Amino acid sequence: MRSRRHVILGLLLAAAPVLAGPGDDAFEKGEQALASRDFGSAVSQLQQAVEADPDSIRNASEYRQAVLRQTVAAHPREGAVADFDKEIAFFEKVVGAHPNSANAYLNFGFAYVDKIPAAGSITQVIMANTALTQFTKAIDLKPTWIALYTRGNSYLYWPKIFGRAGLGVADLERAYAMQKAEPKKSYHVRVYISLGDGYWKTENLDKAKAIWKEGVAQFPDSQPLKDRLARQGDDLDTYINNVLDPNKRVDTDLKELWRQ
Amino acid sequence: MKRIVVIAAFVACLAAVLAASEAVSERWFEDVTKQAGINSRHSNRIFDNPYANIMAGYTALGASATVADYDGDGYEDVFVTDSKIDGKNHLYHNNHNFTFTDVAEKAGIANGNDENDATADALWFDFNNDGKPDLLVVRFGHNQLFQNMGNGRFKDVSKQAGIDAYKNAITAVAFDYDRDGYLDLFVGSYFAPVNIFKPESPRFFPESFETANNGGGLTVYHNNGNGTFTNVTEKIGMKTSGWVLDLGHADADNDGFDDLYVACDFGTDRFFHNNGNGTFTDITEKAIGFDSKKGMNVDWADYDNDGLLDIYVTNITDDYMREGNFLWHNNGNLTFTDVSRETGTSETGWGWGAKFFDYDNDGWLDLYVVNGWVSAGKDSYVPDIFAMVIKPGIDFADARNWPPMGNKSLSGYEKKKLFHNEKGQVFKDEAKRHGVDSVRDGRGIAIADFDNDGRLDMFVANANGEPYLYRNTMPLQNHWVDFVLEGTKSNRTAVGAQVRLTAGGATRLQFISGGNSFAGQSSSRVHFGLGDAAKVDQIEVRWPAGEREVFTGITVDKIQKIVEGSGKRKS
Repeated sequence: MRSRRHVILGLLLAAAPVLAGPGDDAFEKGEQALASRDFGSAVSQLQQAVEADPDSIRNASEYRQAVLRQTVAAHPREGAVADFDKEIAFFEKVVGAHPNSANAYLNFGFAYVDKIPAAGSITQVIMANTALTQFTKAIDLKPTWIALYTRGNSYLYWPKIFGRAGLGVADLERAYAMQKAEPKKSYHVRVYISLGDGYWKTENLDKAKAIWKEGVAQFPDSQPLKDRLARQGDDLDTYINNVLDPNKRVDTDLKELWRQ
Repeated sequence: MKRIVVIAAFVACLAAVLAASEAVSERWFEDVTKQAGINSRHSNRIFDNPYANIMAGYTALGASATVADYDGDGYEDVFVTDSKIDGKNHLYHNNHNFTFTDVAEKAGIANGNDENDATADALWFDFNNDGKPDLLVVRFGHNQLFQNMGNGRFKDVSKQAGIDAYKNAITAVAFDYDRDGYLDLFVGSYFAPVNIFKPESPRFFPESFETANNGGGLTVYHNNGNGTFTNVTEKIGMKTSGWVLDLGHADADNDGFDDLYVACDFGTDRFFHNNGNGTFTDITEKAIGFDSKKGMNVDWADYDNDGLLDIYVTNITDDYMREGNFLWHNNGNLTFTDVSRETGTSETGWGWGAKFFDYDNDGWLDLYVVNGWVSAGKDSYVPDIFAMVIKPGIDFADARNWPPMGNKSLSGYEKKKLFHNEKGQVFKDEAKRHGVDSVRDGRGIAIADFDNDGRLDMFVANANGEPYLYRNTMPLQNHWVDFVLEGTKSNRTAVGAQVRLTAGGATRLQFISGGNSFAGQSSSRVHFGLGDAAKVDQIEVRWPAGEREVFTGITVDKIQKIVEGSGKRKS
């Protein structure tokens, strides 16, 4: 239902010099404002950075974080719906102006994900579904690893009764095939984790354990993989249900990507 | 050798018998529905209009149970509703031996359903202050008010009382908001006042799942003291248009005037503070904040014995909609904090009626919660409803856009919860242990001591099914005391009175509610479990009219009458 913590967007970000794109000046100013908790300036500067480079996931991610920190500071717990609505309206304008930017749609989808915890239970479903629609548009334009991983992982948050976990597995298997064909990156561990979760959710426990084991072989320090492999039966069910609880805010801060 | 085998067999049999009896003694509620003769089945209304197949999924309502000693014989009777077009309502007279006789036809109150009206709930309240409980039958259509004539018969006085305007009413409570000595009537309606039996337009469904304001709202009837009522809703500041499912009144700030919590489906619950001058102020934002959940039930009680009345509200919690209930802890300053998660009372499925009561007489109020929307076929309605929800630009208010439920289930076959209060900190579910974890679609709960043995029994009304009467068979170990209050200056049934009982070094608060909790009305007796305290130091009664009196010389394990003006007045 939602994308999850540390969704790794490094394919795009790592490929680009951090301070060499359009909007970098605004981005820097926005980052400074964010560091000093001047959220108003941060939102304004980072919005300019997104407008200057609508295909930048980095700029958009930081803009979203600025909005989130600003609204939660003013409205403890989950922030104000109206603040997220402004953010969504902004991204809607961005995709309208740049209909061929795959990442703009990805960013738009993340904006809906950010709003989910502040919304009512039915609106949450509508938000999650709308986010999926935007992720699909991104994939239609450019089926990147990150877009497939994001949409595939999002499907896993839907309750079983909606039958969407199978769709998630399909996306994650495509992302898995992509990463197998390229040099190993630290963020590839995410697909091992989520694909296993998808197999678990579609009741293929053997396949889940196999992919988690393969992941541990590749990433021996991965605690999430070790946690899953150490659990059995109800204990494992409780653990994964907790991980995929759609009521918990998902950390969509992507900083780790360009700081690795 | 043969003798040894016989002895061994005897010992084995004895052990089995002892084990069985131990298991029985661990179970403190016995299902006595059938032998009590109180098992008439409720049936949902089936509509006959172009939207009937859609409405069927959203009107699985009308099963209610309301308790009063209507004939003053000292034993609690119960009125139970039906909703099908030819369904009769039941007045079960208590035969004093845990059996009941349906006397509704003879009493003249059986006919609550016809092609233009469907019974949804009922409320006993003494509107004319003559000491005899009168009966309001709450209906989709026109409400019925029956005056208790005192001879086992009731007279329909709806029209002359001025309360028969068309409402799609689903709940009602009565309390004396202006302290004039007469019970006023608060009616909550679900649908807006359109004729849902023959709707002229398909746009009568909720416009939103979370912020709907096109429902029936609240209607307040001021009791004129002469057998008539006046609609004062707007005048006293209580105009709302939510999809009201339940109302609950109590004095939140101990200022002597009862406040009102309004639970709304498809939108924000409301909290009205009684200003003490005949008006109310909507203080929702300050008191509880704006929620977007599906409020189903309101019950007030001091669950943690801190002297302030708290509120329990059920919502919907399932895999597809994880709202969680509210247990609003009263902070004492007209604000409340939800502690449902901390206390373990948050998740009870598709919640309906919930009622606080002390089933083991340990001095802490326990909580029973019923649940379940529609238990039908094995296919789920969830994907259908969410397929509608995610359609862009969908007009929810148009009934034609809602998918028919057919024989599908939605949050069905849910197990009921009996939360034992662990000294005001957390609640532990004991429903399975006590055999009260049924999976029927529960709606209303009525708590009463039907056999006057000091142990509170439970009646549960189920939609489209038979009810349950659970007799409390707990071993007699803890002490208790019951009070029947009679107002003289206050309204005669003392609705709104607060009783503070001091025993065993602790003071506990109870109050008389005028019908709190969804589709249920419990006994108006004030029941205190005393634990091992064999002596009551005193009780302090704050009467609805405002005066405080102290009573001593209370005998435990007994039902006692307390009359306003007969105690020691306290300034």
